[in-house]
Amino acid sequence: MKIVYTDVLVIGGGLAGLRLAIGAKRRGHDALILSLVPAKRSHSKAAQGGMQASLGNVAKGQGDTEDVHFEDTVRGSDWGADQEVVRMFVNTAPKAVRELAAWGVPWSRVRKGDREVIINGQKVTITERDEAHGLIAQRDFGGTKKWRTCYAADGTGHAMINTVADQAIADSIPVHERKEALSLIHDGSRCYGAVVRDLITGEVSAYVATATAICTGGAGRVYRTTTNAVICEGIGHAIALETGVSALGNMEAVQFHPTGIFPAGILVTEGCRGDGGLLKDVDGHRFMPDYEPEKKELASRDVVSRRMEEHIKKGKGHKSRFGEHIWLDITLLGEKHIHTNLREVWDICHYFLGVDPVKEMIPVRPAQHYTMGGVRTDPSGQSPTLKGLFSAGEAACWDMHGFNRLGGNSVAETVVAGMIVGETIADYCDKLANTPTVPLGLVREFVEREQAKLAAFTKGGGREDASLIKGEMQDLMTAKVGIFRTGKDLEEAVDKLQKLLVRSRSIGLRSPSLGANPELVTAYRVQRMLKIALSIAYGAAVRTESRGAHFREDFPRRNDAEWLKRTLATWKSESDTLPTLAYEPLDVTRMELPPGWRGYGAKDYIDHPDTPERQKAVEAIRAQYASDRFAMQKALMPYEHLLPEVLRGKNERIDERF
Amino acid sequence: MAETSNSHRKLRIHALRYNPAKADDTPRIQTYELEEAPGMTLFIALSEIREKQDPSLQFDFVCRAGICGSCGMMINGLPGLACRTVTKDLPADISLAPLPFFELIGDLSVNTGKWMRGMSEKLETWVHSMGQSTDLKRIEEAMDPALAEEVYELDRCIECGCCVASCGTARMRKDFVGAVGLNKMARFRLDPRDKRTDADFYELVGDDNGVFGCMSLLACHDVCPKNLPLQTQIAFLRRKMVLQGTKG
Amino acid sequence: MDSTPNVIAGVGLADRPRKSRWPARMDLAQSATGLVLGLFMWGHMFFVSSILLGKDAMWSITKMFEGYFFFGKAYPGAVSVIVGAIFAILIVHAFLAMRKFPANYTQYRTFIGHRKLMAHEDTTLWWVQAITGFLLFFIAAVHLYQMLMHPGDIGPYESADRVWSGRWWPLYLVALFAVELHGGIGLYRLCVKWGWLEGKDANASRKRLKTLKWVLTVFFIALGLATLAAYMKIGYDHRDRVGERYTPSWVVPNPMEKAK
Ligand SMILES: Cc1cc2nc3c(=O)[nH]c(=O)nc-3n(C[C@H](O)[C@H](O)[C@H](O)COP(=O)(O)OP(=O)(O)OC[C@H]3O[C@@H](n4cnc5c(N)ncnc54)[C@H](O)[C@@H]3O)c2cc1C
Ligand code: HEM
Ligand code: HEM
Ligand code: SF4
Ligand code: F3S
Ligand code: FES
Repeated sequence: MKIVYTDVLVIGGGLAGLRLAIGAKRRGHDALILSLVPAKRSHSKAAQGGMQASLGNVAKGQGDTEDVHFEDTVRGSDWGADQEVVRMFVNTAPKAVRELAAWGVPWSRVRKGDREVIINGQKVTITERDEAHGLIAQRDFGGTKKWRTCYAADGTGHAMINTVADQAIADSIPVHERKEALSLIHDGSRCYGAVVRDLITGEVSAYVATATAICTGGAGRVYRTTTNAVICEGIGHAIALETGVSALGNMEAVQFHPTGIFPAGILVTEGCRGDGGLLKDVDGHRFMPDYEPEKKELASRDVVSRRMEEHIKKGKGHKSRFGEHIWLDITLLGEKHIHTNLREVWDICHYFLGVDPVKEMIPVRPAQHYTMGGVRTDPSGQSPTLKGLFSAGEAACWDMHGFNRLGGNSVAETVVAGMIVGETIADYCDKLANTPTVPLGLVREFVEREQAKLAAFTKGGGREDASLIKGEMQDLMTAKVGIFRTGKDLEEAVDKLQKLLVRSRSIGLRSPSLGANPELVTAYRVQRMLKIALSIAYGAAVRTESRGAHFREDFPRRNDAEWLKRTLATWKSESDTLPTLAYEPLDVTRMELPPGWRGYGAKDYIDHPDTPERQKAVEAIRAQYASDRFAMQKALMPYEHLLPEVLRGKNERIDERF
Repeated sequence: MAETSNSHRKLRIHALRYNPAKADDTPRIQTYELEEAPGMTLFIALSEIREKQDPSLQFDFVCRAGICGSCGMMINGLPGLACRTVTKDLPADISLAPLPFFELIGDLSVNTGKWMRGMSEKLETWVHSMGQSTDLKRIEEAMDPALAEEVYELDRCIECGCCVASCGTARMRKDFVGAVGLNKMARFRLDPRDKRTDADFYELVGDDNGVFGCMSLLACHDVCPKNLPLQTQIAFLRRKMVLQGTKG
Repeated sequence: MDSTPNVIAGVGLADRPRKSRWPARMDLAQSATGLVLGLFMWGHMFFVSSILLGKDAMWSITKMFEGYFFFGKAYPGAVSVIVGAIFAILIVHAFLAMRKFPANYTQYRTFIGHRKLMAHEDTTLWWVQAITGFLLFFIAAVHLYQMLMHPGDIGPYESADRVWSGRWWPLYLVALFAVELHGGIGLYRLCVKWGWLEGKDANASRKRLKTLKWVLTVFFIALGLATLAAYMKIGYDHRDRVGERYTPSWVVPNPMEKAK
């Protein structure tokens, strides 16, 4: 049995995993990254639009602070987020952007003087300040009060991961590419590393570590139409779930992006709308102002997606041979703007649709986009139930997005979480007491168990077809567990998914090689994906309210009285066909921003009994500290103690120096 | 738009099959037939083949949106990104082969990532701030907006390897860093945050494995799916390195 | 936040011996010699093609190079000096350029296969350049040796006799194509290699350069063929009097001789 030892085993080489590994390594601990693909090919690469951080450099971002960012994020989450975590996040985000700037990310910069932009379909002239010239620029994004999204043209994620991956190379952090973690090695209370399969040779080996971090990104591929890469299959989520101990939080919270190109699902950035693009129906009518007079195209993603589907249901979609869609019109932005700031968008339209977005409208329809749910951790990134297990990035649920994440908050989260969790992991490894005595027998048991499971596919005599099951699961999820949900659909989905799970236990292969074999990969992944799909569908079926991206037609109201709580899914036994659900309440009495109206979408919701009292208390504190926002924040909800020391401290801005 | 095309051609995809891990395997061409669908890309076609005809066919797709650089392969003799190649732009007979130069994993899949990592280590493709530290609480250093755009322009490389696979020099001389490496050097040289001087860059690319090895074949420039200005950048770097190498 | 402070160009490089300056010098020298040769060959072609304007024109230009019009007397040794210089440049150029040839059979096979598969124009042009360069190495050496050792034997009859009766024309025919292809491609390559004449749109100017290159190549080959034909014709007509030197038509023949 081959064993690789390291201090910090990072599963996932996306932005979160890379930044976390760099943090641990710079603190003197060996870090090793596992990735299905070369690190720079991770799906972080796909983020186009940008990264939120309240720098307030541009004129339209003036007055932005952590406080505004905090409120936007909590409202966006429909109060599902952990507000302490959000505070940690908004305070670290500016530092993260600035660190990336120093590392080499070619952020787009502010140009002083006048420039013309399109806001609300109208040409507007904005004058940028002299003192902002050359500083990092921000653009508008859905769900934000200020222009806050930092960007590198429209290849933000690309530029970010290039830079961070290169820094990891500078730090000599090994990335074991084309390796897949198949399960976590644990004894029910502590994690010792992972069983890993080499995707080239098929070899199964063990990676043993003091700390293991799951940074495996999203799980979008349990759906048919998704903007996610083909590797975003949620295996990281699944191996945490399969421990039976570690929980997945809020899996039913799945975000749909309004503008996936139709029918391929490839994303065109929110920046299209941020920069002034419009949504139009079959008659060429701009319909969003009819539904959302205030924020129009720039309401949060779940709202826009829902309005689009609603409008299509009314028969206002454009019909094509693949189904119906809406039009995204960016022709009004002009050739120059599209060719410089939205070039990737132009590329995508050109190469995948044969459409020139300078002259023609783009066919779009909402597609699965983001997995809010993930491996449940505390604010430091550690699993509360499995010692030595950490998680960061899209795969994690430390819970800053709640039931809906804002555009641009996710790549920001990956780096911020990498910074924070990197430090806490280093702290953890610093403590001698945390160095595990490795139970080699246990390690061997786990490796052999995985080997046996793989062998069963080739020798077990099963007859089920893996890719057929996968296809059925994906169709089911898109049709029944999508943007509009009903109890009936969800129950049907849960039922059918369970049957698929049972069937998946007798998959047989047509090409029975244990080496490089794509069919084998599909086979063992689909079993795991079904557990994720079930966690989503079952969680959604039980949650009889609407919150953020989770919208129940039969329960259209947000219900804080009963549902202001986080879903925790665990998979108790290998023979189960359903996850076990538990709920963790969110404490209103400690919230800095008590639940209220989000500022868009439906205005009616059912209050939590503690809300009015907390609201009053909050108002009193606000009145008392009106002159000092830092003192006010501290009185409302202290959080700084949760941040690693190196990351604490106020952020300087043009308008806020100290 | 795709929907107006109603061609239902029979496509014949001739794919190179070879598994270097199997001792007795020899490279061969296997032909798959399938019906063309509107808006079909090679990603869709190959996925369908794998799902319905041959589950053992190896190839790499990740983003399927032309941005990650995973799916470089020889398409009718030229390197390109398979995911953004639309079948309607191709004849009904399509020949696919793995990118040459790189280590073959199997069939159409090659290990570009490993080579790119080696290249990055060799050329130290990261910003060298030379010990200057940054106070993350303070306002970031200003940078000329036009310069930032120029750096971004060169940063757009997706490390797909098409340039290297197309380069006769690289094919002949395994240690050549390729256009991808030279472009990266030009990118960091342009970046004011990288404090390295031309003397430092000369140490990295001032030889026949670096910029002086390039014979200006320009296939790299012609195949680069991101249309990077490779010709201009290599020429630029060559001028600077010759200046560096001949002075004093 | 940089992990690699106080290092020159990064981690491993601090103890590495400094890189040699020769690659830079050699690259520059290869291009410089190529440029001189390329431009020289255009001048050379105009020089030899003067025969098309008549024997007198050719004679005059030859004599000009021999210093006749400056000193009132021909010094063919002057030509040897020029030839020697060109010879030297050529040897340096060939030596430098040969580094780029496939170094062994595997490389050769790889390149051939690559060229065929890709069918990429500039790659193919390089291959043409390599082959023609290889040919020129022999041809030019012979030609130059001749010119070096017999600088006085240049002239309308002398050259024509060599071409026809001396049976040099097959060699010149090959050399003509080789040198024009090689030089034309080489000069084009110099432009793209160093970024000359690039302008704002590198792709557009490359296209223009390529067209210009072909136009010039065709022009010079045509001119060369006409020239060669002219020498062959004169050589044919003059085949019975090989060895006779040409006297320009304006030189009045010696009346005494006429009287005889
Ligand atoms: C099209 C698109 C556009 C987006 N645009 C934006 C945007 O503009 N702004 C924004 O903030 N967010 C955006 N997002 C979201 C954001 O990009 C992602 O949430 C974020 O990049 C996730 O980063 P990550 O590091 O968590 O995971 P990823 O970057 O997805 O990395 C996951 C890593 O885990 C590895 N891995 C997975 N499973 C295993 C396993 N079993 N074993 C070993 N390794 C494994 C993978 O190889 C990969 O390296 C976008 C998302 C998409 C899909
Ligand atoms: C004597 C034999 C010769 C040989 C073996 C030879 C070979 C070569 C080769 C292989 C190259 C390509 C170099 C590269 O890709 O970097 C080259 C370039 C060139 N050659 Fe020659 N050549 C010869 C003679 C000539 C002559 C007579 C001329 C003049 C017409 C000439 C002009 C050029 C030019 C202009 C270049 C481009 C230089 C460069 O790319 O740096 N060569 N030669
Ligand atoms: C200084 C050096 C050179 C001198 C003085 C010189 C001189 C001449 C002369 C006098 C001729 C006419 C034919 C003859 O007399 O034999 C000739 C022809 C020719 N030379 Fe040279 N030459 C020189 C260098 C070169 C070089 C380097 C090449 C390249 C290989 C070259 C290629 C040719 C060719 C191809 C012809 C035939 C042209 C035609 O008739 O179309 N010469 N040269
Ligand atoms: S330079 Fe172009 S062809 Fe080469 S790796 Fe980068 S993107 Fe690919
Ligand atoms: S193809 Fe190769 S030789 Fe140079 S110009 Fe491009 S790297
Ligand atoms: S799959 Fe990412 S570029 Fe083709």
